[in-house]
Amino acid sequence: MALLSPELRAETVALCVNSEGRGSFCVNNVKTSDAAAEEEQAQSKKALKKQQKEAEKQAKKAEKQAKMDFAKDRYGVSAMVQSQERLGRTLIRVQDLTPEKANQLVWVRARMHTIRAKGKQCFLVLRQQQFNVQALVAVGDRASKQMVKFAANITKESIVDVEAVVQTVEQKIETCTQHDVELHVERIFVISQADARLPLQLEDGLFLPAGRATVNQDTRLDNRVIDLRTTTSQAIFRLQSGVCQLFRDTLLQKGFVEIQTPKIISAASEGGANVFTVSYFKTSAYLAQSPQLYKQMCICADFDKVFCIGPVFRAEDSNTHRHLTEFVGLDIEMAFNYHYHEVLDSITDTMVEIFKGLRDRFQTEIQTVCKQYHSEPFKFLEPTLRLEYQEGVAMLRAAGVEMGDEEDLSTPNEKLLGRLVKEKYDTDFYVLDKYPLEVRPFYTMPDPHNPKYSNSYDMFMRGEEILSGAQRVHDAQLLTERASHHGIGSHSNSSCYEDFYSFRYGAPPHAGGGIGLERVTMLYLGLHNIRQTSMFPRDPKRLTP
Amino acid sequence: MALKELSSLEKCLGLKKPNKYSTQGEKKVPVLQNNQGSALVGLVTIASHLVCEAQRTELLGDSAEQRAVVQQWLEYRVTRLDGCSKDEVKVILKELNQYLEDKVYMAGNCFTLADALMYYGIHHIVMELAVEEKERYLNVTRWFDHIQHYPGVRHHLPPVVVLRNRVYPSSQH
Repeated sequence: MALLSPELRAETVALCVNSEGRGSFCVNNVKTSDAAAEEEQAQSKKALKKQQKEAEKQAKKAEKQAKMDFAKDRYGVSAMVQSQERLGRTLIRVQDLTPEKANQLVWVRARMHTIRAKGKQCFLVLRQQQFNVQALVAVGDRASKQMVKFAANITKESIVDVEAVVQTVEQKIETCTQHDVELHVERIFVISQADARLPLQLEDGLFLPAGRATVNQDTRLDNRVIDLRTTTSQAIFRLQSGVCQLFRDTLLQKGFVEIQTPKIISAASEGGANVFTVSYFKTSAYLAQSPQLYKQMCICADFDKVFCIGPVFRAEDSNTHRHLTEFVGLDIEMAFNYHYHEVLDSITDTMVEIFKGLRDRFQTEIQTVCKQYHSEPFKFLEPTLRLEYQEGVAMLRAAGVEMGDEEDLSTPNEKLLGRLVKEKYDTDFYVLDKYPLEVRPFYTMPDPHNPKYSNSYDMFMRGEEILSGAQRVHDAQLLTERASHHGIGSHSNSSCYEDFYSFRYGAPPHAGGGIGLERVTMLYLGLHNIRQTSMFPRDPKRLTP
Repeated sequence: MALKELSSLEKCLGLKKPNKYSTQGEKKVPVLQNNQGSALVGLVTIASHLVCEAQRTELLGDSAEQRAVVQQWLEYRVTRLDGCSKDEVKVILKELNQYLEDKVYMAGNCFTLADALMYYGIHHIVMELAVEEKERYLNVTRWFDHIQHYPGVRHHLPPVVVLRNRVYPSSQH
């Protein structure tokens, strides 16, 4: 007689239990011997007990699940916003969450910056541009356990709508900009979910104490959209917008007219070496290296004072911390009466107004950037310090540098001169006037008293050049002479000045200069790489995003 | 190079009659032919001999300790400083900077032969340093400037400009 297999026996036993509800058992198999039977009985008893426990457990669980999730409608993933209806709900900005709003129930839309779940509580940090605030989801009468679990599982960088009560905190929350309040969440909905795997972690993109991982610049630039979300990037580009705005406002107030110049031109404007060629129907054209010629043409067309803000394209194969192939140029050109210093004063005035405006209206942004990239505040003098080139050379020689009288300043010498000027005059911004003629473009007006020098100037911020300008030659004959002296105008080296026709019909004496927006922002904030101040930088190795 | 140095040293010590030196070997080790027939070989040997000749033995040190330190630096000059590579320069400057932090002269409290020979040896390095580097090795620059202005020391070497004020903020170091 074969014994029933243990599983079959257990099943039989179980059947008995269920029908009778008690622990008695009946065995349907044939007893072979008493000992074996006893053994079987003992085993079956154990199995029976085990089954009992199992059943009880299942029952309890079902009970629990059946219990209503009371907070079911206070959290979840919202339906995709397809403009279903126009809710009149006011969303409060994170930067406005201050102790004045204590105990108010507010709606906030922000990004999930960090999530930290701990048992019955979940701490979130919600971020909106430069500001962030701590939020708390805790099991209680407003939130259920399932809600806390849901909050803990929302992916980072997702956009969420949160309804919460603003609470003051006794102990400052150091990691948040809104450090004296906390949000106690009552409702939380996901508006736009982010992928679980992010190409870079935002905390790594910010300044961290030494030891934690930092993100490579290339990785940042490849994932620029996410990199731009960091508080520092937000601050940098807001400040850059301020520079542009102050430039425009100051010049408009001085009576300048804003012009737009063409960027597709027929011949190189600053020499054929660093120019991009584009195919133009059946011929080729070039991308403008500067608005130089067109600014001058506008002056000859009697616009008197003009400025233009637009892209500049330089095909320079330099992979340095301060060169881009495309950048934004802020250019000025002005007619003057008797001396080019009238224009120089106007330009330095404008620069000082920009510095003052940044200092007075963008302190929040400057401080945010300083937290990650510390630098000394930018110093300038009023009126702006103006040194002559020969003075600069003398200062360099006194520091042990050997250079010729008419030699151009190399980059290390420029930087050293910047430091010497800072030490002597305590300013980060100064003008170097009367450069040697040989190192300037052919359309620069020579100095009337000393033919070796010219009426040209450069401006420096923190020891790096930001503006190159000069009085232009407005006489067609002199211009032709200077051009031929530089070997321009012959077939091999054509100029876009096209036989200088603009200057033949009464051109006023004029001067001007141009600055680079990215470079000015970089140097004002004391940053060290121009790619940090260019939203989508272009250099010989980068063409995307 | 070493020959020019020795003639400068002679002038510095006030010796009237210049000696005739020759060199031997690849490294152009200077040799001084003595009247007695024996030859003195080596920069340090000849320099010490000149000092004794000029009866300025205090330049070799007063106390036993000072004499030892002077000898240490003379040896340093010949073994480590002469013919060092570019990488070693940084190490040497760092070492010297640390050593000179609380000392006015190389050995003891007065000018010794160690100062003179170290000055001659390090001149070509300090001359090439940029302003920022001179500020980084501030103690070396200070000592160097002090020695090059010491009466009689600097003969065949051009003066190196040293700025009086710090131009680079110390946080950059």
